[in-house]
Amino acid sequence: MNNYDVVVIGAGNGGLTAAATLAKQGLNTLLLERHNIPGGCATSFCRGRFEFEVALHQLSGMGNPSFPGPLRSMLDSLGVVNEIEWVEMKNLYRVVVPGKMDITLPANRKGFTDALIEKFPNEKEGIAAFIDLVYRFFTEVIGAFYMRDPEISPQKYPLYFKYALADTQTIMDEYLKDPFLKLAISVYWSYVGAPPRLLAFTEYAAMIFAYIEFKPYHMKHGSQVLSNALVDSFIKNGGDVRFNCGAKKILTGQGRVAGVVLDTGEEVRAPYVISNASPMATCGEMLDKEHQNEDFFRQMGGHSIGPSAYTLYIGLDCPHGDLGITETTNFICTHTDMDRSFTEMKMRDNEPGQMLLTCYNVSDPDASPPGTTQIALVDLKYGEPWLSVPPHQYYDYKYLYGDKMLSVVEGLIPGFRAHIEEVEVATPLTHMRYLNTPAGSIYGFNQFIRDSRVFGALDPGIPGLYFAGAWAGGGGFQPTLMSGGSAARAVAKKIRQERG
Amino acid sequence: MTTKDIHTQIEGYHRVLDDVKSAQRYGTDYRIMKGEVARVLDLLHPRRLDLRVSEVIIETPSTKTLRMVSETGYLPPFEAGQYINLFVETAGVRTSRPYSISSAPGMTAYYDITVRRQQGGFVSEYLLETVKPGDRFESSGPAGQFRYNPLIHGRELVFIAGGSGITPFMSMIRETTDRGLDRSIHLLYGNRLEGDIIFHRELKERAERHKNFIYTPVISEPSKKCSELTGLISGDLMKKVLGRVEGKNFFLCGPGALYDYCMPELEKLGVPLHRVRREMFGSPVDITSDPGWPGEVKKGTRFTVKVKGKGDLSALAEESLLVSLERGGYAVPALCRSGECSLCRVKLLSGKVYQPRGAHVRASDLKYGYIHSCAAYPLSDCEVLL
Repeated sequence: MNNYDVVVIGAGNGGLTAAATLAKQGLNTLLLERHNIPGGCATSFCRGRFEFEVALHQLSGMGNPSFPGPLRSMLDSLGVVNEIEWVEMKNLYRVVVPGKMDITLPANRKGFTDALIEKFPNEKEGIAAFIDLVYRFFTEVIGAFYMRDPEISPQKYPLYFKYALADTQTIMDEYLKDPFLKLAISVYWSYVGAPPRLLAFTEYAAMIFAYIEFKPYHMKHGSQVLSNALVDSFIKNGGDVRFNCGAKKILTGQGRVAGVVLDTGEEVRAPYVISNASPMATCGEMLDKEHQNEDFFRQMGGHSIGPSAYTLYIGLDCPHGDLGITETTNFICTHTDMDRSFTEMKMRDNEPGQMLLTCYNVSDPDASPPGTTQIALVDLKYGEPWLSVPPHQYYDYKYLYGDKMLSVVEGLIPGFRAHIEEVEVATPLTHMRYLNTPAGSIYGFNQFIRDSRVFGALDPGIPGLYFAGAWAGGGGFQPTLMSGGSAARAVAKKIRQERG
Repeated sequence: MTTKDIHTQIEGYHRVLDDVKSAQRYGTDYRIMKGEVARVLDLLHPRRLDLRVSEVIIETPSTKTLRMVSETGYLPPFEAGQYINLFVETAGVRTSRPYSISSAPGMTAYYDITVRRQQGGFVSEYLLETVKPGDRFESSGPAGQFRYNPLIHGRELVFIAGGSGITPFMSMIRETTDRGLDRSIHLLYGNRLEGDIIFHRELKERAERHKNFIYTPVISEPSKKCSELTGLISGDLMKKVLGRVEGKNFFLCGPGALYDYCMPELEKLGVPLHRVRREMFGSPVDITSDPGWPGEVKKGTRFTVKVKGKGDLSALAEESLLVSLERGGYAVPALCRSGECSLCRVKLLSGKVYQPRGAHVRASDLKYGYIHSCAAYPLSDCEVLL
């Protein structure tokens, strides 16, 4: 009963797909979750008559059954795709700088290009050439890495070798002039948390290509349904899950992982552990000192903690059409300076520069009760400035920034605030509370150019221990879900080898 | 050629590699930050509080305030209106009850909880009869959604309280008047008898001293010499004492009967429902009288509840699964005990349960058979997964 092949610590996206993949392969697996519900970020909560989606805005990598993306294929192998009603979005996003720019970009290459050209006719050639570069570049990435070309060379993949580690800003500057155009074409940077100047072109191209080709998706009843479906798949395949129970310690023996001590004090034996917790907690807190690997900590020390977020979960007492909201994904910017927006992420009390307003009902009429609207209003924020708020002033600070965000929205959508029936605030400290991550990070480490996995993935340096989730594979739904699958496959392969 | 070697041929590889090395040289030793997340969270949202009763204050013949100080010397901040879930062990059963904190958030040295005797309430009975200064309790950290939200609740508030439903309002009134906050409160406080009013003198004094606080007690079974308003908190009464209702936000806290009576009255007055917030108030006194309860299952019926891999127990239809599990000696995490917070979520593997309306169960939890055990009553033999 207390012997397992693998223990998975944490039922976030990465932990869930790891556990479900292991169970599917017949491995005896225990999944631990300190919270009462699975999902980590991929969860929802109820307030009044609303059920609020916590984290999912646009799921990438899905595609449709006849043109499946990598994520669909993986989820399909776990038997959860048909458990969920998928909602495809027609547009990528709308970007608004009130009074100055308002543009909506469709989720297809031609529509995307045409919409930009229509708004910025003087830059027609530049726009077409830039988008062409994104496509040619990413086609090379697919050919070289997704198709596992055995002979990768700069001659065969010239664009990849030229631009893979280039920053997005420099390339944009070569092709485009108008700062409004640059904002409109690269506003997805906030899905990574690194502004174009610090964002590798590979990351940027991957996002644009994936969202356009595989379309952005949501799901009915929100991301909690995916988390619950993954647990269901795991249980049906014989997995054991323990909620309200975290891991206190990773046991070792003979120079490798030997098991886990649970919060309850119980000991579980297992030669493999996949941790969906932060690597800081996994290796710095759960592993004994003598197994803390110097190289690992030096390597990890070069990565910095990524952003958290300040989020308002809003329930409106009217249909979204009454307020003239027509798009699911709306980036609302008060200026075009993305470097400034990045610096503002490090402040607690600035004037909001770039926010994301997601109105779920536009794509999914069932996102809230009839006659109401569910909205998430998000601004990326580093957790650091919140750590120094004296606890007894926390609730005074908690609402201040939200008030500023709502003022900006009110300017764009008059009457918005008066229609708010429910609003819940999540500060970086709220995210920290529910995710248990350093500084409340939602994306793991920063994903700057120097953080590229071209320079090596984090290896904890003790046999049997693996990572899954944002810290291991980058933030966001697709990367975290995929990371769990990869970790599980690596572990399963090892076990097969051992068993001959 | 390995993938790693290929990467070295990417333009700028060595320049970025220098960045990597430099970042590592000037990097962070995350080992030093061991325990940092827990330390920060413990100051704001500790999972458990170690409390000691420092004083027992008699409020009315049926009500006492237990003043709780922290054994560690530190109490986390809270938002006025929030509660703590107090763990008690009485008659061999470990259970818990949520109590609103009645002291102001600014009172950082103690939390007051104010307890009124509930009919047949074995926990309130225990707290009122047995507890004395020096007794120790464990509780949850502060929690709950019944609170003033400055983003939407505006400056004009109407509080409607019934009986011990005054407790969260007491914290809000104390905070608003003590801190001189820019908002006005009109409290309508219903009680059966004059002698039942909790905090009567303090409320009167605060209303005299602060222009932005108006206090209107309402007595339903007045004595002959009663000088307060009498009757129920009806729409007419509200209209008379409040005047205009537009632009005001209403907060209700009290027993179920208060909601059943006041909600239609507020509707008649033309108060939009989304301007009315209600505190949940524990489990219903008699679930079998709930409008949706299936008549064929009679009070007193017993069912067998199997706890997967652990054993089984006998459960009464009219008791929530959470209570039955606690009686059976199973530790189930619980917080609000009113169907809202989902901490006591369990998976129903087989059998049927009654879930009263108003339990905040996620749509996907319904789909996969998860229930909130505090708001689920057995209607047949069941099996659950803890």
